[in-house]
Amino acid sequence: MSLALHEVSYTYPGTAHGVKAITIAVEVGELVAVIGPSGSGKSTLLKLVSGLTTGHSGSITLNGHDLSGLQVHQRNMGMVFQSYALFPHLTVAENVAYGLRLRKVGKSARLARAQELLTLVGLDGYGASNVAKLSGGQQQRVALARALAIDPQALLLDEPLSALDASIRGQLRDQIKLIQRRFGATTLLVTHDQEEALTMADRVAVMKDGALLQFDTPEGIYAAPNSVAVAEFVGLSSIFPATVCGDDMIDIGFCRLHTPTHGRSHGAQVSALMRPEHFEIDPDPACTNRLAGAVTLTRYLGSMFRYDFELPGAPRALLVESRQMAREAVRIPPEHIRLLDH
Amino acid sequence: MPPLWGDVQTDKHGDRMLRSISVAYGIYLLLPIALLFVGSLGNTWTNSLLPDGFTARWYAELLQDTSFRKAFTTSLVVAGAACFINALLAVPLAYTLYHAAGRGGSLAAKVVSAMPIAVPTITLGFGYIIVFNTDTAPWLGTLPLLIAAHAVHTLPYLTNTLLTDLRHLRLERLEDAAATLGASASQRFLGIVVPNLRQSLLSGLVMVAAISIGEFGLSNLLTGFQNRTYPVVLLQAFYGATGFACAATVILLLLACASAFTASTIVKKS
Repeated sequence: MSLALHEVSYTYPGTAHGVKAITIAVEVGELVAVIGPSGSGKSTLLKLVSGLTTGHSGSITLNGHDLSGLQVHQRNMGMVFQSYALFPHLTVAENVAYGLRLRKVGKSARLARAQELLTLVGLDGYGASNVAKLSGGQQQRVALARALAIDPQALLLDEPLSALDASIRGQLRDQIKLIQRRFGATTLLVTHDQEEALTMADRVAVMKDGALLQFDTPEGIYAAPNSVAVAEFVGLSSIFPATVCGDDMIDIGFCRLHTPTHGRSHGAQVSALMRPEHFEIDPDPACTNRLAGAVTLTRYLGSMFRYDFELPGAPRALLVESRQMAREAVRIPPEHIRLLDH
Repeated sequence: MPPLWGDVQTDKHGDRMLRSISVAYGIYLLLPIALLFVGSLGNTWTNSLLPDGFTARWYAELLQDTSFRKAFTTSLVVAGAACFINALLAVPLAYTLYHAAGRGGSLAAKVVSAMPIAVPTITLGFGYIIVFNTDTAPWLGTLPLLIAAHAVHTLPYLTNTLLTDLRHLRLERLEDAAATLGASASQRFLGIVVPNLRQSLLSGLVMVAAISIGEFGLSNLLTGFQNRTYPVVLLQAFYGATGFACAATVILLLLACASAFTASTIVKKS
């Protein structure tokens, strides 16, 4: 089942907030992550797809069928919420089997299915437990089993890991991805956590202020962001306003750097993006794009150092990552400077 | 740095003062109740601090008094019926008010919350007398009208209890989850909302029963001779023997205490 959003717009009554002309297609079995800062409209988008919010313009289709006329309970989409939203008056197994009970599946069949799913999410033996007695990670796994139990046409994940401790977030992230692959579930994941999006998703949609900024693979989003907003939100970077000042040459205010300008005219205003892992340390003094300065703030990350490298006259320090810290200079290879027009 | 012992002294002084105030308030509150118990077991009690003699005859007389027995039954019937009506009305009312919050519903919720304080029972009673003492609606003094009045009077208390629980539980999250799993509006209400409100519904209903059984102002205005409630008949007892009046009051008190204890036990469990 493929999920397609075409020119979907929605404005909350009495406000200017909402989403504007969003077009995203989630292919069969694909996991698409929607990321963006708070208020970017990503959760609104998920609510529109699930039917919890209605009244949009544009179309949302599932395998070619328009969902506009269907109420939330008729859409057959499994949804996992940030707050787990488990039913406190039901046991773990009853929670998982709830959707099947609504579909008039016999008691023994639905409890067997619940047991099967609980085993899948690593909660074998917890069927009779009270949901309030489970840890956050366990509750979210129950919520995932509950959403999958109804054999949904699409799986919607609303910040599923945000309420969990960092220690179990990574583990559960991998588990969700494995289960999603196993079920071949067409999945839309909403998160504000870029690491979660980049590691779990096949493709990523970046949103800001209700608009879709970029929709691409995680590698594409990271390596080739189409705007400063995307570059700032995804990954770490150093971004400086720049002016094209010659053939394959830019001026970033405190120095000039060689980089392909791809036919941009002289005087064109751009932003120069440099990722921290692309810097070379203590290069040959005669090489191009050599930037002399000094390390100011250091962060030890185990396999490498991440540090601020201050340059004379620069408005802010460069962010650099390397196995050893630079002593007096760093270099950014021309091909690793990405120019952004807006 | 000031010496620590100075702070400890101040704390001890404060503790002592708080304890004294608590004890004084406890005596003020409990002394009349204790005297009622003592009075209900005393033989005679006129112009003295404590009654003379010991007897259980006031309770025996109370048990044999048909008007008290009938009033007691009437009070239980009225309280039970008020509970039944409230159970049917309050859950959908609180649910609607909760979901209407922000759409004008918050004002309605505030009105419902403030009603028991803003509208005294005597006002409600006079309103009933004006409306139901006419040829069109000649129901003043009837049991159904008394039940309706008690239900109206106690409904805001139960609705408030349920509204508080609805806000605390944030049931809309659970309803959203149920909806995505295929539950229709009625299935969400009956399968998710009602079961999760059962504790507050139960404790609220015990409170409704306690309020209804002890209610005097409204009942005094609306009851006919055939369906007087226990507090209304109790008032007449004070024109007779003091011991009898004390025993009758103790029965009412025990009933109210049992209700309050049950309600608090339910709340604690929830």
